[in-house]
Parts: sequence; C-alpha cells; structure tokens
Amino acid sequence: MKKILLVIASLLVSFAAVAKPGDALKSMPVQDGGRIKPYDSFSKEMLEIIYGKTKFEGRNATEIVLTWMKEMLEIIYGKTKFEGRNATEIVLTWMLSPQAWEGKKIFEVRNHQVLKALNLPNDQRYFTGAELFAGDRFTLLRQELQAKRETKEKLDPYFQALQRLENQFFIFQEIAAGRMMKVAPPKEGDAWIAVADLPEPLQEKFLDVTKAFVTHLGAIASEGDLSASGKALDEAVVKFEEVAKAENPSLYTVGGKIAAEVHYNDFHPFRWAYIFYFLAFTVLLLVWTLSKESLMKVAWVLIAIGFALNTYGFGLRMYIMDRAPVSNMYETVIWVSWGTVLFAAVLEFIYKYRLILMAGTLVGAFGLVIADFAPAVLDPTLQPLEPVLRSNYWLTIHVMTITISYAAFFLAFGLGDIGLIYYLRGEEKFQPQIKAITMSIYRAMQIGVAFLAPGIILGGIWADYSWGRFWGWDPKETWALIALLGYLAVLHARYAGMLKHFGMVVTAIITFSLVIMAWYGVNFVLGAGLHSYGFGAGGVEYVSAFVAAHILLVIYVGVVRQGKGKKVTK
Amino acid sequence: MSQKSLLKRINKPLASLKLAVFIIVSMAAITAVGTFVEAKYDAYAAKKLVYDTWYMYSVLGLLVINLTAVMVDRLPWKKRHVAFVLAHIGIIILLAGSWMTWQWGLDGSMRVGIGESNNFVQTAETDMVVYTSFDGDRYSKTMEQEVDFFRHPPTVEKPFVIPAYEGEIKVVDYKKYVVPSRKVIEGEAGKAGAGLRFQLQNDNVNVIEWIVQKKPNALASHNFGPAQIFLGPAPEKPRGANEVFLTPEKDGLRYVVFQKDSAKPLKKGFVKEGDVFDPGFKMALQFRVLRFLPAAIEDWDLKDMERPTPLTTSAVKIIFDGKEHWVLLNDMVKLFTNNAVYLLTYGNRRIDINFPLKLKSFNVARYQGTMRAAAYESVVEVPDLGEHLISMNEPLKYKGLTVYQASFQEEEGRPVASIFSVNHDPGRFLKYLGSLVLSLGIVLLMWFKHLDFKLARSKGAGKNE
Repeated sequence: MKKILLVIASLLVSFAAVAKPGDALKSMPVQDGGRIKPYDSFSKEMLEIIYGKTKFEGRNATEIVLTWMKEMLEIIYGKTKFEGRNATEIVLTWMLSPQAWEGKKIFEVRNHQVLKALNLPNDQRYFTGAELFAGDRFTLLRQELQAKRETKEKLDPYFQALQRLENQFFIFQEIAAGRMMKVAPPKEGDAWIAVADLPEPLQEKFLDVTKAFVTHLGAIASEGDLSASGKALDEAVVKFEEVAKAENPSLYTVGGKIAAEVHYNDFHPFRWAYIFYFLAFTVLLLVWTLSKESLMKVAWVLIAIGFALNTYGFGLRMYIMDRAPVSNMYETVIWVSWGTVLFAAVLEFIYKYRLILMAGTLVGAFGLVIADFAPAVLDPTLQPLEPVLRSNYWLTIHVMTITISYAAFFLAFGLGDIGLIYYLRGEEKFQPQIKAITMSIYRAMQIGVAFLAPGIILGGIWADYSWGRFWGWDPKETWALIALLGYLAVLHARYAGMLKHFGMVVTAIITFSLVIMAWYGVNFVLGAGLHSYGFGAGGVEYVSAFVAAHILLVIYVGVVRQGKGKKVTK
Repeated sequence: MSQKSLLKRINKPLASLKLAVFIIVSMAAITAVGTFVEAKYDAYAAKKLVYDTWYMYSVLGLLVINLTAVMVDRLPWKKRHVAFVLAHIGIIILLAGSWMTWQWGLDGSMRVGIGESNNFVQTAETDMVVYTSFDGDRYSKTMEQEVDFFRHPPTVEKPFVIPAYEGEIKVVDYKKYVVPSRKVIEGEAGKAGAGLRFQLQNDNVNVIEWIVQKKPNALASHNFGPAQIFLGPAPEKPRGANEVFLTPEKDGLRYVVFQKDSAKPLKKGFVKEGDVFDPGFKMALQFRVLRFLPAAIEDWDLKDMERPTPLTTSAVKIIFDGKEHWVLLNDMVKLFTNNAVYLLTYGNRRIDINFPLKLKSFNVARYQGTMRAAAYESVVEVPDLGEHLISMNEPLKYKGLTVYQASFQEEEGRPVASIFSVNHDPGRFLKYLGSLVLSLGIVLLMWFKHLDFKLARSKGAGKNE
C-alpha cells in the first residue's frame, strides 16, 4: 500500500516539474470546508456553486475567483496609501482585469419557481448579481426560506433552490470581502486567517501576489509572452507561502497532497479512462460486426490502459483524502465502473464470449461519462467525512462490497441490452449468442448476489458495532435488501424453470431498476433516513426517463417477439 | 421408508420453488412500501404500519416454513448440498436471532446533561399511567397500561376508558402529528393555582411571559437573567438575590422586590390587571401585569400537521367530569374532583437500568476552521467501573447493557447533553452466527458452480427451450 503511494508521489514530483509558469498559484494552500486544499480546487468549487461550471467564458476558475476580490482591496487598502501610490491606482490595477463583474451574468439559477418569485424570465439561466440580489424581492425570499427552516420541515426543490441562491449570494459576498479565502495558518488553534484579516507582513506579500496575478492576467488577455509574468507570479506566490509557513510551520505544507490534488484536477484520470473504455468498445464493435479476430488484442490493450487510469485516479483520491473513496454517489459511480470492467474482464477471460467485454466497456464508460457530466448531481469535490463514517474500516468494506455487487448487476444489465438487440435481429438465427448472453447474465447475477448478501450483512455488523442495532429498516439498507431479494427471486425463478432465455434478458434489465433505486433513488427520491449524509438533489427526471425507456424497450421487444412467435406457429 | 415418503409428499408443496419466489417477491414489495412510508412520514410510522405488522410476520413465518421444507425435501443431504443447506440454515438462524431480540431485547435512548446523571432509558413503547391522591399530597399509582394509539386510535365512539375512583377518564381522540403552543385558560377556583401574564420592558429588554402555579399557594417562577420573577408566597427575608415576588390575592397581586446586596425589601405594593410598576432595580424596568387569573390552568393550542417534523409531537384528548383536556406525549395533566386528584401521564416507557450513568464531560472535535463535527466522545462514570470513555464506535459494555454514543444536543453552538443509545441484545450471537453461515453458503454456492441447479436443468431439459 505504502509503496503504491510512494510511486504516486514520485510521479507527482515529475508532473510538478513540467508545470507551466504561473501555475504555482494553483497549489497555494487554502483552508476551506474542513480541510486544506489547493487554491485550484477552492476556486473551482466556488465557481461551481455560483455558476454551475468550473469554467467561465472559457477561462479557468483559478483566473476568475481572485478577481472577485477587487472590492476587498477597496475595503482593505481603500483608505491607506500603498507604496506611495494611492488607493485609486491600486484599484485601477484591478481594473486591468478585462471584466468587471457587475455586468457579468455569472449566477446560475435553474429553478423556474424561484425565477418567477424574483420576477425574472425563466428562459434564461444566468443572471448578474444586480438582477438577483439588488431588489427587495431577494430579502423577502430569504425571509421565506428562514421561516421554512424554522418549521424544520424537509425542504422541497423550490426551497432547495432558494438555499442555493442564498449560498451563491453569501459566497460571492464573502469572497469579494476577502473573508472566504483563508490562506495563512494561525499561530494558535486551527482556524486559518482569511485574506481580509492577514497581519501586516503577510498582507504585503499577498498584495504582491495579486499584483503579479493581475499583470499575468493582462499578459494572458493581450496574448503576449507569458513566461515573464508567469515567473513573477510564481515567485510572488512562493514568497507568500514562505512567510505564511513561518507563521505556523506544522500546519502549512506546500506540495505533497496539495500537489497531488492539483495534478488530479489537471489530469482528469477518469476522463481518460472512459475515453479508453470507449475506444475499446468501438474496437470490440468492429470485432463483433466484421468478425476481425485480430483486433481482440488491441481491445485488451485499450481496456488495460483505461482500467489502469481508472485505478490511478482512484488511488489519487485515496492518497489525497487518506481514505477509501466510496463516501458519496460520485465516488461509488467511479468504483462501480471500475468493478464492471473488472468483472467483465474476468468473465471474458473464462468464457471468451466477447459480448461480456463489450457490455463491460460500454457500461463502464457510461458510468464514468455520467459522473463527469453531472457535477451538480454527483459531487466530484473531495469532502471530509461525517463523524459516523470516520475511522471505521467496517464501513469501507460494507460500502465497497455492496457497490461492487452493483457493478456485477450493471454488467448483467448491459448484457441484457445486447440480448434485446439479438432478439430484435432474429431469435432463431442468433440462438448460440443468446445462450451465451443468458449464461453470462446468470453468472453476473451470481457474482452480484455473492457480493451483495455479505455486503448487507457487513452493513448490519457495522450498524451493530456503531449503534447497537443490527437492522434498523434504514431506507438505504432496506433498498439494498430489496435489490438482493429481486435478484434472488430471479435466480430461484430461473432454477424453478419459470424464466427461460428471454426471461433472463428481461429480468436483467428490469431488476436493475431496483439497484438504481437503492443506489440513486434512496438519496434523491426518498431522501430520508440515516444515510442522509449522501443526499443531494436533481437528475430525477433523467434517471426516471432512463428507467422508463428501458422498460418500454423491453415491452416493445416482448411484443415483437410474440408477434414473430405466432407467425412461426401458424 | 413409507413414512418418510409420506412426509416428503406432504412436505412437497411447502418446499415449492414457486412458493419461494412468491415469498421473496412479497417481502421485497412490502419492504419497498415501508421505505416510502418512512420517506413520507418517519421511521416510527413505517415500523407501525409496515415492518411490525401481522402480514410482515406472516411472510417471514412462511419463509421459515419454506426454507425448512426445502431442506427436508433434499434429505438425505449429500456433499453437493453443503452450500445450499448453509445458505438456507443461515437465514433461519438469523431470523431466530432477530426474534430473540424482538422478544427480550432492549433498545432505547438516554439523554444525559453534562455533569448530570440518569438511570432511565426511554423506549419507543407508550404507556398511560394514573396516580391518585386523596389528600393532594401523597400519590399512589392506580393504573399503568401500555397503549398503542398510533395503531389503534381512540375515538368518541370507541374511547379508551380508564376507571377512576369517581367516574371514569375517557381518551376520545388521538393526533399523530401536532405542533403545540402553550396557552393559559381560566381554571376552577380553589383547585387551580393562579396565573400571571406579565411584561418586563426597558430600552433593551422586552419579555412577555406566563407564570402559572401548579396548585394554589405553590411557588412558580420565571428566570430572565438579571432577576427572577416569582408567583406565590414571598419569604419573610431577602435571600440575597434580585427577586420579585407577586402573591395572588382576591383581585390583585401584592408584590415585594428584593435586591442582591440589600437586607431590606427594595419595594412593596399592590397591583391589579393592567397596572404598571417599576421594581426599582438599577436598570429602569417597567413591570406590567397584562393578565391575572386567580385560578388558571395551562392547556395546549395544537396545530395539526400532515406529516412529522422535528417540532411535532403526538397528543391525546381526554374527557373527565365533562371537561376536555389535551395531553401531549411525555406530558401530564391533573384532574380534580371534590375528593381526589388524579395525575395522568402519557408518554414513552422509561426503564430503570438500576445504576446511574453520570456524564463527566463531553468533547466534540470539529473539522479545522468549521463547525462541522468530526468526532465526539463522552466521559461517563458508572458504579464499580469508574470513569469510562464512550466514543463513536467504542461503546461501553456494562451489566449486560451496551451504551453507544448516538448524538448530542447543542445550544448556541455549545454541547449541553450527550445522547446515548442503550441496548441489550440477547439475539446478537445468533445473528452473527447466522450471518457467517449464510455468507459462507452463498460464497460456496459460487464455488460449487451450482451443481444442484445443473442437475435440475438436465432433468427438466425437456421443459426448457
């Protein structure tokens, strides 16, 4: 384990060496959300909350968030002269930044009801701060939200949207005022010092950073040579970090995990992983349709690269957070995609059906793509854990076992989809393929059950260990049980001869709805219970559509098959 | 031999795989409904309406019969049956363990304030208890009964009747989810204590409160920080604190003000409803008598809610001697007749664990620079064992009970009490054993490549496609 981390660390050092000039700012440590993170992650998360994306007009979050602080400079330096120049000049240097944020539509509001309450058009998604917060309507809405909070009822989507709006307002205001970004360790305690409260020497050094930053931004805007301005910025950052570290060396570390996180942000290992999975899928498609056996080796290599990248990203998250990354939806999706590809490879190795690998790469890539494109639903940020989840190794094993079983069921689901295609293309003609698929589905389901049942039991042991309650009908736990019962029913029905080949294909798809409910639905549809630390909102419509589309497809194929069957008997 | 085959023939339908599929699907369906009930209401409602019901238990019973029957059907077991038998016996052991917990287990919670101690565990069951007194002083328990109004709500037509010395107390209504707010109404002269609604006001302070005596001439008080306001008989001499005593008389209140450093009363006087006086403290305060009821009782204004929130509670309506009263969960009401006083309580069962659990200190670790709790722990003291640290995942095992750190209560950003979950689980061993056997069976099923299944398939090959 330690060796792996060492390898990762040495890789990072080599990556850090090739960093562009001006990149030192990215890895400046900032305290936020209960941990120390690089400025890169901080700015991305902030822009994400405000704007819903990690880039604005093609520019990176790191370039954006600092410029919000120009009002901060007025507050801190507005009254005093600095280096013999007066305040307006300094503020003027800020004006070098090509955008003044007042007129920029940077606040994302998606909820139509909220827009209506604010008297804003609902065909628009982005608004300026003035449009949203200037009138007294926003104040009224905040009061409404506060009143709702006092009733302690669950917040519905409207109030959740209001809550986000309030959060956007708060964050923008706090960043602008320099209170949000905590950049220097304290001499005592563990709450870091925000930009606005920096003591004199640090304040000076930070101002140097901002000045170098603005010059660098100017260089970027004029598309001139970046190396000089970038170097100046890097130097300013390093100097600031030195002084900050001197404040309390034990709390301030540059590099190591921080550098790993910047590298993780830059490199996007999971994006590369799904690209390779998808390439592998395309090659397998060629193998399948053109019967080009020679390409199989290429497919295996592509899968191996994708899998290595998937593992590497997973390892990076483990190294950065010091824990197994299975604590929220995003992390489980990554984990399940990894598991699906692994199971597919193992089954393929044994049975050599090819279709298994195709289903595996497709489903694995699909999972990673979803994780990458829905940050509002699947939160990719690195967050510290809730108390009940900490330092408990039962929990990690329990979650990993249960979710890895979902990977097997996901594979069965993908195989089911391919099976349906065969049924559409002609049941008689493709009899051997259909048999192979049913066999693979059966195997995948068995693997799933063999992980899910012990996983649920481990959950019981964990609950008993932490709360003294083996089974408490907690919804997340209960739905995992329902999914298990669903697959057990399928396996027993198959055993009893109630399900034939078509039945297996159909149930592989339909029963997976139970997994979707257990995995996603409990958090986003039910939203109740002890597992509330995993809860978020959104995406319900897409997931329901996905499930409904598959059920309709199954019905359609069933009807078509029945029609064909009648013709044959006639 | 023939006996055995007869047994097997009777056993056959019970061992049917189709029955197994039916049972599994029913269990999945019932529990699925349960999760929706939980999402809409709460865990308690889901338990009462779905998980803890006759139909759930019937399905589980059927499952045990089916599991037993299918194993009997495969007798005599061969080597290839190992996995199958383990998996099925594991479930039965697991269910047996759960049954033992359900029968003899204790699962409750205990709140202990910092520096305080407690020896009562509160469980989910609700009881109705009546204490009777003939002299208004000494009470004896005259009735104690478990009630489940959630499942069997009383109505006017079908009330829950408690016989009393004179007449009977009838429970005629039950509300699951209400948000209560206190109100004071006029009571019966001579039996109820006095009630006072006052206002304390200056430039910085504005307090409006009710003080109600529990019975005539009892002392009731309200502490508002710099001074304490009392309703009831005043002491002869000052007690070395800022205190205002208001003693009810026929049509007004006689008041006396004491000051911290003074041996003599600061002020004396008489006020009626609507009157204002200045108690004479250093801060210029106005004391206004907003309302004075010589006989007053507290009652509740209830707002009906459709579903529970952290602010809702349940309440029952009782009728006694022609008068209606609402009693909230874990609250009480006093009922008077000419000869007796009845004290009726309705609330969660409190079980004495026979030793005091003292909370010496409580600690919350937070994530750096935030208020997010990262971990918390309690230092408790119990007899014989002395001090012990209870933290998340590190419970205290003592006298057959296990005490877990569950959560804590905070007031103004500071923890004030620790909440423990206390339980006794006689089925624990069986549950762990069952889990082990079941898991072993399932994993073995994988390894054995399902021989039984292959066999069945080759036998029934004609039926298959």
